[in-house]
Amino acid sequence: MKRVYSFGSIVCLLILLLSGNAFADSILCASTTSTENSGLFGHILPIFEKDTGIEVKLVARGTGAALEMGRRGDADVVFVHAKEQELEAVADGFFVDRHDVMYNDFVIIGSPDDPASIKGLTSAVDAFKKIADYQTVFVSRGDQSGTHTKELAIWKRTAIDPAGQKWYLEVGQGMEKTQRIGNEKRAYVLTDRGTWLATKDQLEMEILMEGDPVLFNQYGIMAVNPEKHSHVKYEQAMTFIKWMISDTGQTAIDGFRDKLGNSLFIPNAK
Amino acid sequence: MSIVLKLENLTKAYGGKPVLTHCSFSFDKKGIYVLRGSNGAGKSTLLRICALLEMPDKGKISFYSANDRLARNIDLQRQISLVLPKVGVFNRSVAANVAYPLKIRHIAQREVSRRVEQILELVGLSHKKNQQALTLSSGETQRMGMARALVIEPEILFLDEPTASIDDENTLIIENLLKTLKQNGRATIIMTTHDPGQANRVGDYLLWLKNGQLMTDFRKCEEVNMYG
Amino acid sequence: MAFILESFHSALILIVRLDAELLNIMLLSLKVSGSALISATIVGLPMAALLALTSMPLKGFFLNLMNTCMGLPPVVVGLFIYLMLSRSGPLGFMGLLYTSTAMITAQFVLALPIIVALCHSAIVSVDPVIRQAALTLGATRSQASLTVIAEARYGIISAIIAGFGRLMAEVGAILIVGGNIAGYTRVMTTTIALEADKGNFELALALGIILLGMALLINSLLLIFQRRAIVRK
Ligand SMILES: Nc1ncnc2c1ncn2[C@@H]1O[C@H](COP(=O)(O)OP(=O)(O)OP(=O)(O)O)[C@@H](O)[C@H]1O
Ligand SMILES: [Mg+2]
Repeated sequence: MKRVYSFGSIVCLLILLLSGNAFADSILCASTTSTENSGLFGHILPIFEKDTGIEVKLVARGTGAALEMGRRGDADVVFVHAKEQELEAVADGFFVDRHDVMYNDFVIIGSPDDPASIKGLTSAVDAFKKIADYQTVFVSRGDQSGTHTKELAIWKRTAIDPAGQKWYLEVGQGMEKTQRIGNEKRAYVLTDRGTWLATKDQLEMEILMEGDPVLFNQYGIMAVNPEKHSHVKYEQAMTFIKWMISDTGQTAIDGFRDKLGNSLFIPNAK
Repeated sequence: MSIVLKLENLTKAYGGKPVLTHCSFSFDKKGIYVLRGSNGAGKSTLLRICALLEMPDKGKISFYSANDRLARNIDLQRQISLVLPKVGVFNRSVAANVAYPLKIRHIAQREVSRRVEQILELVGLSHKKNQQALTLSSGETQRMGMARALVIEPEILFLDEPTASIDDENTLIIENLLKTLKQNGRATIIMTTHDPGQANRVGDYLLWLKNGQLMTDFRKCEEVNMYG
Repeated sequence: MAFILESFHSALILIVRLDAELLNIMLLSLKVSGSALISATIVGLPMAALLALTSMPLKGFFLNLMNTCMGLPPVVVGLFIYLMLSRSGPLGFMGLLYTSTAMITAQFVLALPIIVALCHSAIVSVDPVIRQAALTLGATRSQASLTVIAEARYGIISAIIAGFGRLMAEVGAILIVGGNIAGYTRVMTTTIALEADKGNFELALALGIILLGMALLINSLLLIFQRRAIVRK
């Protein structure tokens, strides 16, 4: 028995030694998978941390989950792209100090043979209508993400309810997985340009529709309301927000390139 | 200090079927009591009750030391030992098995080693000291079981069919061991056997268990007291 | 099949380079799963022993519960712990969400039923003559119980190995309660999930190979320990 105890205590000691990550001045930022997976945060956060000494811990989720994290007080600051929902949550008193930060845009991708012939259309709403008319497969994120929200908004304008149609697949997964499922199914997918640029080499798909202002994708940042959740680090969160919309932050965003050298996000803070 | 075991009106039944009925006896001599009886007579049951592993339905078991009745506690329990027909072998070395009763009594390591060596010598297993106990033959296992029980030098030792499933040679070794113990005159030994020859060779006092009753066989042991 | 070779190749390169980030992730994996496993064993083994060696009310129900919980989906456990630890949840004041403590807690909950159920069956399968022998040799009741547990050590180590396997492979629960924060709560499995999400399949598979290697190494250590604990006939 004695040997078992000494083995146990050695293991415990090792674990104690390994667990040395002291928490410096840090805030928790809830954001979307697109910002992390694209590498944007990997680019700008070190600059911010060097400027201010505040560490930003990033939890990347779908927009729905990220907003919920903020509402529950599990984050200090939220950085997502679903402007209507964001404004609504601010109006409900969950968040304060919301600012536009940057944008990218959405595109509709699909197999190059374009079975619903949406190529050349200038309106995303028309493109969706045609897809529904031809009953060609459309793969939806179906995960309450910003992209999903945007997609639903477009469907709403077409006055078509795709839910439950057999050509409409809600996969409930991240952007890359949704694209890959669309690729396998030779289907149409609404995607953000950043993810598309990062993954297009692995897909037999191309952009079939782009440029409609409806497809504009605004990212916004806001702080969790300290009056709702007194424990949040509002001051540090505000430092982060102010930095993001400052010239320094905006320049940092502008300077970001993905690993293929593409510029993904255009800063537009006012 | 020698310990006397006294049984008064022991009664035990399993599922309504009586096994022991009003057994009374006093084991007050040093030496070897041999308990015989047909299969299912209740010999093992009696030994288990005497060794305080099981409670009787009725009756009393008491231990006396110089007419003082001993309290029934772990200290008393530790002066008696029982070797079952199926030796419960611990999955360790032979030496560790034999050291076990000393270890649980918190005896110092040096003393433990000394006594283990000594007792293994006595049962002829010194050369198997470091062997894994589960790999012993059944004769060796039985001897190890004896050694494990003897190492604490018990006042009373119960042996339930110590030579039941082993060959003549090992039987002889064990019988010689019993004779040695008898000559040392330290312990009271109470054993069961189905071998009449063995009973005569090693036993001082012969007891029969029949129809739930315990009786002495006067052909061999005139000095045994009978109660009830 | 070329991609498998490619991944092995990248795995090798990763191991040879062993940059600080990967090392941190590997160590955190070990720390989280190791702590959860050890605490689950410290709590679960006595529970298993109590269930196996004493008679208590609701014993059958409890065992059934443990056996059923062995199959709990990690995401469900993760979600439950998340709701408990969330600032809006009952334990929110502790501020544990998105820390390694939260991940350890979730994995502890996942490991506990495995440890209890498997240790229980290891202990009850010890031959009853062992307990009898211990008692006849002067053991107290608790000493006899410890002896029985010691005799079950082979099965107990197997239970620990099974628990460790489940924890090292687990991603659903730690992703939810840990948040996969780089440098803080990012472990092997969540990194693999992230890289697979990003479409870096080769890197993901290479990390998977490293994870497998780590698990093999730990299991070998445990097996050596186990081999010393048993005897082969
Ligand atoms: N735990 C028990 N539960 C039910 N019945 C029991 C139990 N232990 C013993 N018995 C019964 O009590 C009777 C006496 O059994 P015991 O083992 O004492 O006999 P024995 O004299 O030792 O026989 P043998 O010479 O075959 O060893 C048998 O009928 C047996 O079936
Ligand atoms: Mg018998």
